Amino acid sequence: MSAAVEATGLGKRYRRTWALRDCTLAIPQGRIAALVGPNGAGKTTLLHLAVGLLAPTAGAIRVLGQTPGRDPDLLGRVGFVAQDAPLYGDLNGAEHLRLGVELNRRFDQTLARDRLERLGVPLDRRVDRLSGGQRAQVALAMALAKRPELLLLDEPVASLDPLARREFLQALMGSVAEQGLTVVLSSHLLADLERVCDYLIVLQAARVQLLGSVDELLERHKLLVGPRRDPARVSGVAAVVRATHTDRQSTLLVRTDGPGRDPALAVEDVTLEDLVLAYLADPSAGALPGPTAAPAHDRLGAQA
Amino acid sequence: MTWLVWRQHRQQLLAAAIAMLAVALFLVPTGRQMHAAFDELGLRGCLPGASPSEFLTSDDGCASLSEQFSGRFQGLATTSLLLLFLPVVAGMFWGAPLVAREVEHGTHRLVWTQGVTRLRWATVKLALVGGGVVLVAAAYALLVGWWVAPLNDATGYRFTWLFFDQQGPVLVGYAVFAFALGVLVGTLTGKVLPAMAITLGGFLATRVAVALLVRPRFLPYQRRTYPTISGSPAEPNQLAGDWVISRGVYSVQGVKLTPGSGSQALCDQTSAPRCVAKYGVGAYNQELFQPADRFWLFQGIETALFVALAVVLLVLAVHLVRRRVA
Repeated sequence: MSAAVEATGLGKRYRRTWALRDCTLAIPQGRIAALVGPNGAGKTTLLHLAVGLLAPTAGAIRVLGQTPGRDPDLLGRVGFVAQDAPLYGDLNGAEHLRLGVELNRRFDQTLARDRLERLGVPLDRRVDRLSGGQRAQVALAMALAKRPELLLLDEPVASLDPLARREFLQALMGSVAEQGLTVVLSSHLLADLERVCDYLIVLQAARVQLLGSVDELLERHKLLVGPRRDPARVSGVAAVVRATHTDRQSTLLVRTDGPGRDPALAVEDVTLEDLVLAYLADPSAGALPGPTAAPAHDRLGAQA
Repeated sequence: MTWLVWRQHRQQLLAAAIAMLAVALFLVPTGRQMHAAFDELGLRGCLPGASPSEFLTSDDGCASLSEQFSGRFQGLATTSLLLLFLPVVAGMFWGAPLVAREVEHGTHRLVWTQGVTRLRWATVKLALVGGGVVLVAAAYALLVGWWVAPLNDATGYRFTWLFFDQQGPVLVGYAVFAFALGVLVGTLTGKVLPAMAITLGGFLATRVAVALLVRPRFLPYQRRTYPTISGSPAEPNQLAGDWVISRGVYSVQGVKLTPGSGSQALCDQTSAPRCVAKYGVGAYNQELFQPADRFWLFQGIETALFVALAVVLLVLAVHLVRRRVA
């Protein structure tokens, strides 16, 4: 399967600071990928590199098989909503759709109009008089009207209240199901995206820390609970991601290698949130195993 | 794309139209006054236009008529110097926000990720808005050209500093340059207000530098000498319209005797001893000037210079838009 977004040793430096470094990943087509990490981890940089707003300092990125930023054709195949959903404040919704028609070879104005009407977003009102949620919907409608093969959303729900968040994600999922596209959406909170994503990329301090399909990540990580013990002396695990101890009991979040576990420990499933928090808590814990969908990856970016 | 440019800039166009109207409300009535006075005083018949005498004696009737005219409209001519600042408006209000406003509001991330390359976005936008600047500036230049004509003829000042700068095709050159400077600075800063301020400063600095240092040297000066002592003292006729760059009294050995650049000595037979006492025997006046018939040539050179600068700045701006860290 070819990848919707494929990065090899990708890096972006602003003056002396690397905003993204040694990023090697492949997001398979048809996935809904969550790009998670604390503020400043490099999420926006990665998305801007993917949409061609930035050019890489190191490495390469390919989107839908092409190098972004060179080809207007590729711009037309990728939908993008930047952080805070920037729109022209003095234009109304209908004028934004006209803008989309003028600036794109393919732009389904009817789709966008119907969608916004269904959501009750007034099209004849200047967008700076719309609520944050309505603005986000206008921006999303514009991106979807391009009928993109890849949709990149930078913190799409950050400015929305919880109810609007749910509505926004529901509306997004509805369209994704209809159009069958690949989505990458970023957030600094996994909770925002946990229900909708089936692929996960965790960025921390400008580097990829965790990568893979959600099912596989959950399968490969377990919570071991048992009598207190030294985390280094637990058999049958590839790595202990996080260990917490009480006087008598140890709770270990581990990456497993397969069967053959310590019989003294009870095995529990982890939640995605626990998993991500465990990794984020320990910047040195890296897990970039090769999910079956993508070629095996190595943290240093050595890839055939 | 054309629609978007129109939609985004129609307010600026309206503002420009209103500003032009306001300027016209000042220029049209005052211009009619000047044209009427010019005819009334009979200056038209008095100034031979094509071949005015090179030197002027004190009993020349035209000089007094000219003085009457200048006296009457001096205030107006001074007020009109404010119009010198008009071209920079194109840079501050049309040029500076063109990219900076997008970046400031983050909308470049919207518009640069539609199905149009940044190169196309920038060229279409610059071509249309820049074209608007050219049209507005050209209309203004025509209006002010009609307005200033009597002043030109009655004073002979049109080639001199400030007068040269407020009429003719150079106005289009200045406006286009200001626009281009605004676009480039706005692209560099990504902030509208600082871009406007820097554009204002940069425009004025460039204009002053060109006017003072470059323009006088577009072509080599011409030199004219005339005696300090003569039977009927005559000075070069300002009404001929030459641009006098410097003037002074020189000794017989060719050493400049007067400080500054505006002195001359004119003595008749009775006051001759005073001149001799002051400057010695054989002293003469000398003037460096650009002759009046170079006016349009100089306008053309200066226009071309500013348009060329504008093209360089715009090419740079487009390059930056394409590479800009977004």
